[in-house]
Amino acid sequence: MFWRLVFQLLRGSRARLTVAILALVSGAAVISGLLNLDFGVEYQLTQQFRTLGANVVITPEAIPSAPESTLTNSALINEDAVMSQVRHIAASNVSFAPFAYVIAHIGDTQVVAVGTWLDQLHNLNPTWKMDGVWISSRAETGQCLVGRNVSRQLHVTTGSPLQLQYLARNAQCKISGVIDSGAADDNQIFVNLDSLQTLADLPGKISLVQLSVSGTPKLIAATASQLSTALPQFQVHPIRQVTEAEGALLGRIRLLIISMILLILVLTALCVLATMAALAMERRADVGLMKALGGSIARIVGFFVAEVGLLGAAGGLVGAVLGAGLSYWMGLRVFDTAVTPRWQIFPITIILMTLVAMAGALPLRMLGEVKPAIILRGE
Amino acid sequence: MATVVQIENLRKEFGKVCALDGVSFEIQEGEWIAIMGPSGSGKTTLINILGGLDTPTSGRAMVDGVDVGRLDEAGLTRFRAEKIGFVFQQFHLVSYLTALENVMLAQYFHSTTDEKEAQQALERVGLGDRIEHLPSQLSGGEQQRVAVARALINHPKLILADEPTGNLDEANEKIVLDLLRELHAGGRTILMVTHAPSIGSLADRRIDFSHGHLVPQPASLASERCS
Repeated sequence: MFWRLVFQLLRGSRARLTVAILALVSGAAVISGLLNLDFGVEYQLTQQFRTLGANVVITPEAIPSAPESTLTNSALINEDAVMSQVRHIAASNVSFAPFAYVIAHIGDTQVVAVGTWLDQLHNLNPTWKMDGVWISSRAETGQCLVGRNVSRQLHVTTGSPLQLQYLARNAQCKISGVIDSGAADDNQIFVNLDSLQTLADLPGKISLVQLSVSGTPKLIAATASQLSTALPQFQVHPIRQVTEAEGALLGRIRLLIISMILLILVLTALCVLATMAALAMERRADVGLMKALGGSIARIVGFFVAEVGLLGAAGGLVGAVLGAGLSYWMGLRVFDTAVTPRWQIFPITIILMTLVAMAGALPLRMLGEVKPAIILRGE
Repeated sequence: MATVVQIENLRKEFGKVCALDGVSFEIQEGEWIAIMGPSGSGKTTLINILGGLDTPTSGRAMVDGVDVGRLDEAGLTRFRAEKIGFVFQQFHLVSYLTALENVMLAQYFHSTTDEKEAQQALERVGLGDRIEHLPSQLSGGEQQRVAVARALINHPKLILADEPTGNLDEANEKIVLDLLRELHAGGRTILMVTHAPSIGSLADRRIDFSHGHLVPQPASLASERCS
């Protein structure tokens, strides 16, 4: 009889309860969406910041800003010594490559020639635009990539041959693609590391190592610290602007999400409260009658609590499903990748909405004060 | 014959207004009593006290050996569920429950529900074919018959009927009065409030009220202020 009556209560007040259930469903949908985003935001941000390029750089002790230096005027790193340690420490979430720089000539024009593992260039710089084809083989020596500005200056494009000169030595390659980084890399030519070392006659020497660690600022700092310990003769720099910006942004987004969730919980509770206050007034006569028939206040209020609990749970469930869709859409819009719904969000949302519905049902407490004699007199 | 209702010097005041002023009488088991009197004479107040919906200011109201005035809230709740069957002038059915569910609601508050028994109670008042109807789908007379079935379902010691035919047309009034007559014949104790002398005359005994006093009492001595 209990549940039969609860369902009849729901049916009997469906018009008014529609307002409450709409509030609960929409509140739950937004909360579930935000919770999904909150769970996924760290991963998404990490991915986003990784697209900004390397976030850890290993340089010789004396050279703080390696990318602008060259093999001819810089302290050098022994490639084997440093790369064996990097390989040992780097986990699957780390992309890395050694870099060597020389000022070479193409005809009369001076260019920065960069020797590196060409197959890692895209992993380290996923946002670079490519007109042509990325080089997928580390052993490829006949092909190279040029920056957009070099391409314009030398009037060369994909498929054009290039002859690099350094002192009395020459190296040839064919342009596989033109890159557009929007930064200083547009002024550089990227060639096979071994080819550049041969050209500069400095085999086994590099200028620096770039690493792109995928993970939280904490993880990046931890990786840098491990490298620093393993390579005491080198400087290991986490690129602080990136890691700190990531940490700060993550903190702000979290604060925003939590604030919004709290605000929505309060607003939903207020909406349910307003509906329940009106419902309590409507049900005074029924409660008076139930009391006259021998219903204890605990049993009578039990109906209403169960009704509100059901509303909250149903609103939470439907809202959680809608919220999963919402977070998927928001992920696509904000991060360009879908946020996968987490199963944990469903029970959390259902419990939250049930509690909110219960809090919103506080006006039903006033039904305990109903005097049946007064109600039955029609007052 | 056992005494079901024993009222001794019962008083009820609402602020300065005295609704009942030293009322005393007894009702024996199986009696049908008509309480009569003009509006404001204290009839409904008496019914409310006997039904455990209100408490007396002083005096005693015993129903089946229970002093209603001494019961706490939980005791009054059990008392209403177990000893009393109410029939109201306004029917007072729960609008979103069917006729059957309205009867079962009283069962639920008493102990456990028995759908078959509730159905039989409705059949007894001639509503066997209307059990799934909502109150809004029933006529006034039918609604009052549902209320009678609900009042009887827990086999109460005392049926309190407050103007049970006050909102009914002549045909339905007759049906409900026939039901009360049947209940009386079956040995039920009924206390019925009515304005209509013709209905009052159906009862075994009439108790007249005026200004909170039992009649006959010199009307000139009665006042709204408790003596």
